[in-house]
Parts: sequence; structure tokens; C-alpha cells
Amino acid sequence: MSILLNKRLARSLWRTKIRLIAVVLMVFVGVFAGITFGGYTHNLGGMYDTMQADDDEGSNLADIWIDNRSAMWTPEQVSAFCDSLFSNWESNTTTSISLDSCEGRTVTQGAMFYSNADGERIINSLWHGIPADANADRVWMPEGNSEGRTAVTADEIVIDAHVTDALNLSLGDVVSIGAGNVTADFTLVGIGYHPLHVLMAPEGSLFPTEPGEYVVGYLSDTGMARLTGSMIGTSNTIILDVEGTPSYDLPDTQEYEGTEIDIVKELVTTSLSTNELDARVRDRGQNEPIEIMRQDLAGAERTTVPFTVMIASIAAITIVLSLQRLVQSQSREIAVLRTLGVERSSLMIGYLVAPLAIGGVGCTLGALVGPWGMNGMLDFYQDLVGLPIVERTVPLSIYFSVIFSTMLVVFLSGVFPAWKASRLDPLEVLSGQSEMRVGSNKLRKLTSWMPTTLGLSIRSSVRKPIRLTMTFVAVGISLMLFGSIQMMGAGLEETFVGGLEDDQTWDAQVYIMSDAEGPVLDWAENNSANYEIIIEMPLGSVTDSEKIERIFNVVGLDNFQSGMRPVSVIEGGLPNTNGVLPEVIMDEGSMGFLGWSVGEKQTVSINGIQQDVEIVGISSSELARTMYFLRGDLSEITGVNATSIYLQLPEGVEVNSDLGEFSTGIVERQNLLAGINSLLDQQTQIFQSMMYLGLLFTIVVMFNTMIMNVAERDFELATLRVLGASTSSLGLMLLFESLLIGIIGGIVGVLFAYGGAVGLAASFSSWQFIVPVSVIPSVAWQLMVGVILIAVAMTPFGVWRLRRMDLVEKVKDLSQ
Amino acid sequence: MNKLLKMENLERHYETPAGVVKALDGVSFEISEGERIILLGPSGSGKTTLLNCLSALDSPTGGTYKFFESEVPRNNSEKMTSFRRENIGYVFQFFNLLQDLTVLENILLIQELSGNKDFSRAKDLLKLVGLEAEIDRFPGEISGGQQQRVAIARSIAKRPTLLLGDELTGNLDTETSNKVMEALVGACKQENITSVFVTHDEGLVKYATRVIRIDSGKIISDEKIDNQYDGV
Repeated sequence: MSILLNKRLARSLWRTKIRLIAVVLMVFVGVFAGITFGGYTHNLGGMYDTMQADDDEGSNLADIWIDNRSAMWTPEQVSAFCDSLFSNWESNTTTSISLDSCEGRTVTQGAMFYSNADGERIINSLWHGIPADANADRVWMPEGNSEGRTAVTADEIVIDAHVTDALNLSLGDVVSIGAGNVTADFTLVGIGYHPLHVLMAPEGSLFPTEPGEYVVGYLSDTGMARLTGSMIGTSNTIILDVEGTPSYDLPDTQEYEGTEIDIVKELVTTSLSTNELDARVRDRGQNEPIEIMRQDLAGAERTTVPFTVMIASIAAITIVLSLQRLVQSQSREIAVLRTLGVERSSLMIGYLVAPLAIGGVGCTLGALVGPWGMNGMLDFYQDLVGLPIVERTVPLSIYFSVIFSTMLVVFLSGVFPAWKASRLDPLEVLSGQSEMRVGSNKLRKLTSWMPTTLGLSIRSSVRKPIRLTMTFVAVGISLMLFGSIQMMGAGLEETFVGGLEDDQTWDAQVYIMSDAEGPVLDWAENNSANYEIIIEMPLGSVTDSEKIERIFNVVGLDNFQSGMRPVSVIEGGLPNTNGVLPEVIMDEGSMGFLGWSVGEKQTVSINGIQQDVEIVGISSSELARTMYFLRGDLSEITGVNATSIYLQLPEGVEVNSDLGEFSTGIVERQNLLAGINSLLDQQTQIFQSMMYLGLLFTIVVMFNTMIMNVAERDFELATLRVLGASTSSLGLMLLFESLLIGIIGGIVGVLFAYGGAVGLAASFSSWQFIVPVSVIPSVAWQLMVGVILIAVAMTPFGVWRLRRMDLVEKVKDLSQ
Repeated sequence: MNKLLKMENLERHYETPAGVVKALDGVSFEISEGERIILLGPSGSGKTTLLNCLSALDSPTGGTYKFFESEVPRNNSEKMTSFRRENIGYVFQFFNLLQDLTVLENILLIQELSGNKDFSRAKDLLKLVGLEAEIDRFPGEISGGQQQRVAIARSIAKRPTLLLGDELTGNLDTETSNKVMEALVGACKQENITSVFVTHDEGLVKYATRVIRIDSGKIISDEKIDNQYDGV
């Protein structure tokens, strides 16, 4: 009996093929997305593990970086520090982990003098000096994805693989590079990667440049000595490798995880003090290039879960609505079966099995295609960061968790309609009482002034308030996927590109060694270029209320309003020299995180020196945490007069090799803008698949609603057709309904999208990166109009259905 | 009386796996303005098919059907709808009123869709069928007989030339059926509407001016009768 019942149900379901396919597609997309995102996150994490591993294949990422770019420590100073640290370590009883290595390195900004058929140009660069026997922070040369070997002799260099294609470099090429006033030629012996340069952003910047606009090279220690003209072993950075990976604080979490590394840092501070060295000490969480990529990965992991849940929710709502509609359309059949004595449980089984069968088909398809989606995303990420992702597997646990949770959602979605089907009262259904209902008087009064067709449209639309609400929730969630990413992207673009593009007026920023601005200023005067001297260093730090050390940039400007880099002050005023305390402006994000207010006096650390400052203003949101000083004040604190010079170049004057030789690097504003835009584009592209998935869902949900609305109203539409109503006049009615659903859906969608954007921004925001959300009217309108258009675009389907309605059959139905 | 329509040798055949089914097999008759015709016949005799052809819901497969000397459109949904809109009124067995609209609004909707909304006429029609007190009530708030009277008022609201009904009292008890038929005859007479009703209830013959009996797709008798009831 139950086999026949289930066969009957299967045939009934097959009659509603379009809706059935829509539901299967929903399940498919949910599983596909779950496996795609789950596999993507799993393999991404594996990629960093492989790269940073402390083994022969990996690069052995350091645990602590101790640096001071305005100083050069002699080999003896480095050695004394390391001896002192090893000695302190041995006598320390609070830690059981051991120190594997303490190594001095030189990392310096510089330039590559690159020439090709288009001429010669200077490329902003960074050079690492890495001894052949280095333990930590080695060049990563993955087999099959790198070329050559590491640099050993004084004239060898490895260039980062991110740029070799763009610069058309190959093994054996001779490259001319400089640092400060020295230039030298090196032979390219290897093309590889480095864990600190996964994202090719110049130091101090969060934005990668266009390919080939920033070069990182890895010399041997002898090569670095040759380039800088200093003794082998001279260092401005000391790196420590500790056994295992001691826990460090993750800046994007509320908890403090850095207790293990703090013990190490205390020992480091003691040894620095003993050896009278000033330096910044950073762990992995404070080293921006590492932290950016960790947060990027964490962001991908974090968004995977809510996005999958959102997709599953939309699928669940669609399944519930569709099954409910199915039960409703079958009420007469169910009533007949019940009258014939079929038990409730027999009926219920069918309605419970149906969603499982639908879910099974969707899950199978999703599981088959999921790995393909994962590979697509990994390929995309690989192109974005320029690192090979070799290991690509989808663990069985991901298949299991995604399919199990989806099937659970699908099963639960079927329970209510199944229960409803088994509870139908045969007498009520067969007597037609279940079709009878009394309209709402409130609605009648509200719509009585309207044309009857419009009034009917509105009343029909709100006839099933729960279903309508669920539809709007599904549309809202779909638009949350689509709109929140758009809103966040628009906010990011307006904040970061807006200021640099519209407010700042410099053409090139020339980086110099400490206080070596003279030749650059001479060059500017000889070329009639305007200039502005600035100090900009990532050397500020402060301990927040949780006792966590927060790192920020310090910037010294001469003019905050009419200079080449104006600061947008949203509260308070501008710093003045008062002879007592340096007055500063701090960015909105830092002020919020630290809970500071304008007028307060605070103590911060600048390059390791404790300094009291007075907060006089707040600047509008910036991606990086920044404290602005008057340059004179900052110069007094740091002892540095300038770290770079902004230039406004007159018509016909361009950055040339003379300027390159005076500098440690040059950034052109247009290139920087292109880099930011490129990063924003890339980030947006990562989310674009989800955005379009959201759009697709909006279309499917609206389409499903429309099908149900028309199908449910077959009865009354057929009546009107028999009575002579033209399809165009009925089409107009459907258009009113679509418009109404579209307008309400659009408003709900914008609200959901804004809520989603706030949530998404909050989940991405941390001390390092504040992600602002601004409601840009054009984005909100775009969403509204989009939903309305989708709703209206569904009207032709309703009209098509009206046209192909078999009125003879309908009249039979109407007479039964 | 003027001739309203003429069917000549009308056929409606269906191709089925079991062979051709002749639902209508050479039906010929004329109807003049003002007639009230009842189509009688057993189940499957072809009376509903004939009604569907009369209303241009269905297209005959053979023969001619002229309405005021013009060929009635067939096999063209829009033209058939247009013919229905301009000429035909229809009353269903189960009333099929729109539950979300009040009694009055159900009538106004049909007028609106035909492009001649007339508030006072809608009220007059409800008065004609004895429901002026119920205009603001929803269909779910009135009885079955009352709903059918609303359906009658709705069907004549756009001034059709021909009113058709399929078992329109089949869902009502005898007393209510009589009330509905009285309302119908009264309305048709006042509005000068010709009517054709399908029924199997011989008791309704008293409201007709002519009875056509049909069986196996053929007319077996067509008789004018001396009407006992001639409206209110």
C-alpha cells in the first residue's frame, strides 16, 4: 500500500517539475558551496603550513623579529645579544621550550634598475641578506614550482617568483640593483618565494602593487655586504626561531593568546637592555605581512560557515514553501485517500521520504561538482597571492559534515508539511470548506479606494502572511550574500581610494635612508618640483586595556590641511607646537579600539622610547592604525628628520635614475592607486562567486514565489479568464503583485544587506585593519531596483502560464 | 425574435489512445434572442462540451458556429477570449467568487476588466438579485445560495448577450435552487439576455422557454415549451 502511495506522490511531484528542479538546485548549490568553501579553506591552511614548515622543504618561519631600521648593528653586537639571550634562556625556569636559533640579517629598501625595449625604469625594491646556512626565514623553493637555487656567493641573487614573469626575468640574467648610494650587478640564480612576501606589498603598505612594480630579492650575506658596503654579519634585524610554535596573540580575537611568546619577549627585552640596543620586537601576530595572510585565511574560514548556513537557510525555506504548496495542491487527493482509510502514518512517510529523495539527488550532484568549485577557488587564490597550492584534497569529514547537515535541514524542512498532510481533515477538504475563507476587513478598508484589480493584487499578495514573510526572509538572506559584499566593497573603496585619489596631491614618494634628504631636495629644486618632507614609520606601539601591545604607524607632517597629504579631521582640531607635550591626531579606528577621547593625554612607545602625547583630533577611518604628529615633534622624539619626501612633478618631469640613486625606493601615486584598486578588485572577485550566488538565489526564490502565487491562484485566474478577462489585464494584475513583492523585497533586502555588511565588516575588522561600512545610496538603489526588476521579470512567466491554461480542463475543475 | 446564433453540423471529436471520441457529432440548432434554454442529458452526453463550444472556451473540430451571422473564432485563444468578453456571461456550479473581494467588488472587478466600471449598475444588479444588504460582505460570510446570486449578478454585470451556466444549482438544495433560478430569470428578462443552462434537474424545466435533450453527442429532442414561470 505504502509503495503505491509513494509512487503516487512521486508522480505528483513530477507534475511540478520546474519547482522540483528549483528545490533540487537549491540543495545542490548548498552542498556545492559547502564542499567548495570547506575544501578551499582546508587546502589554503595546508598551503601556509607547507610553506612555513620547519623542515627541509619549508622556509621555517621565524617566531620573533627584532629590528631597528634606523640602526645597523655590528656582528659583535648581534653576537653579544644572542649570547646574552641564550644565557638568559638557560637560566630561565618559566619556559620549557628551547631557542633553536638567533640570527642577524640585513633587510633594506632599495631599487632595481630595470631596462627593456621600452627603456629604463626604477622599481621600488626590498633586499634580504640570507646566509647560506640560515635556519629561519629561508627562501622557499618548492619542487616543481620554483627554479634554480638559493644565492651563495656575493654576486648571486634570487628574485621573488611573484615578479619574474612580469619583468621577463630568467635564470642567468644579470640584474642591476641599488640600496642607498650603491649600485651593483647580480646574477639571477634562483626564482623562489619567501614567507614574509606572500602579498607583494611594499613595507609599511597593506596594498600589493601591480605585478612588476615592486621587487623582492634574496641575496647571500656576502651579497648584502657587497650591496650595502658594510661588513658581513652587519644587521638591522635579528630573527629568533623557537622550538615548535609558541602561542602568540591573534589581534582579531578578544582573548589573549600570547602568554607563551610573552615569556620569550621578556627574555628578549632583558637581553636588548643588557646590550643597550633599541629595537622593535614583534611576534607573528605583530608582523603585518604574516598577520595579513593569516587573517585572510581566517576570514575565508570564518565566512565559509555563515555563507554555507545562509545558503542552506535559503534552500530550507524554498523546500518548506514548495513542499507546503505541494501538500496544499494535493489536499483533495489526500482527503480521498484518508476517506478510503489510509492511515496518517502511511501518508506521512511519503511526505518525509520525498524531501530526503530530493535532498539525496541534490547532495549527490553537489558532492560530484564541489571539488571542481574548490579547484576554481584555489586557482583563483593561487593567482591572487602567486603561491602554488599543490596539495588539493577534500577530506571525507568535509563531505560528511556538509551532506549530513544539508540532509538534516532538508529532512526538517519536510517534517512540517508532512505533519500537515497527515492532519488534513477529509470532510473539510471534500466539502470545500478548506477553500473558504473570509477576507480581511482591515485590508478591505485600506485598499477600497484603489482600482479593484490593484486591491485584489495587494490582498492576494498578503493572503499567506507566513509564506510571504518566509519569502522575504529568503530574499533578504540572498541579498545579504549579494548586497553586503557590495556595500563593504563600496565602503572600502570610498575610504581608501577616495582620500588618496581626491585629496592627496603628490605624484611620487621618495624613500630615503635616515636624514639623507639633501640630494632629493636638490633634485626637486633642479627640476622645479614641489616637495614635502615627511616622517613615516611603523614604529609606534601602545598597551591597550587588555594589556596587549598594539603596533601603529607614526607619521610626521608639516601641514595637515594644505599639504600634499591632507588629514581629514572628523573630531577635534589640528596639532600645534605647545612646547610641553606633542599634540597628535589619531585615526578613528585606533580611538575606538583603545577607547580614547580627544583631549586625553596618553603614553605611547615610539621606536622603543616611552613618550607622552596629547590627543587633539581624530582622523577619519583608515585601513592602518596611524598617529599623526607635527614633523618637528616626531623628529625630536625619533632623532630622524625625514624618512621620505613627497614630490609634485611639473609637466614633462618624470622620476629618473638620478633620483633612484638617491633613494631607497620610489612609489608613484598612480601606481599605488592602481595597486589598491587591483587589491580591491581581487578581494571583490574572491567574493564575486558568492555575490552572484546570492543574485541567483534571489532570482530562484522570486521565481519560486511567482510560480506558487500563480499556481495557487489558478482557480481565480481561470474563473476570470472564463469570464472574459484578457491575459493582458490579468498580466497587469500579476505585474502589480510582482511590483509590490519587489518593492517590499527590495527594502527588506537593503536592510539585510546592511546588517550583513556590518556583521561581515566586524568579523574582518581587527586592530590592523578596520573595514568600514557606509551605506552608499547608489548601492542601496541598485539593490532595490535589482529586486524589483527580478520580480517584474517574473511576470511574463505568469502570463505565459495564463496563456497556456487549458480553459476546458479548468472549467471541469471549477465544476467539481 | 431576432436570431442570435446558429450551429450547423457542429462536431467536437477527440483523438484518444482508444480511438476517436465524438463528444459532439453533427449538432445543429439556432437560438433566438430572449430564449431561455435548458440542455438536458445524461453524464457524458456532450452537453458540457456543447456549452464550452457555445462559450468559445473550446474549438469545434467541424461544422459552423455563427453568432449574429459572424463566424465565432476558434483555435485562437485571444480572439476566443475577446468573443467571450464581449458576448458571454458564465455561471459556475461552485460560484467561484474571489474570496478576497467583497460581494460588490467581485462585480466591480469584472466590469473593470471589461473596461466599463459602473458602480451604480453593480449596486443595481445586487438589488436585482436581492442582495443589496450584503454588498460589503465577503463571500465567506454569506450562504451558498446568496453566493450563486452574486455569481449571477457578476456574470451579467458586463451586459452579455448570452448567459451560460453549467449545473448552476447542482450544489444547492431545492428551495435555494428555486430562489436562484427566479433571480436568474428575473435578471435575464430585465437585461434582455438570452440564456443556456446545462442541468440534469428536470425540475428546472419550468424556468425555460425551450428544452434541448442531448445524448451521445447528438440532439435527440428540441422542444419549445409553454413557460409556467416568466420572471418576477
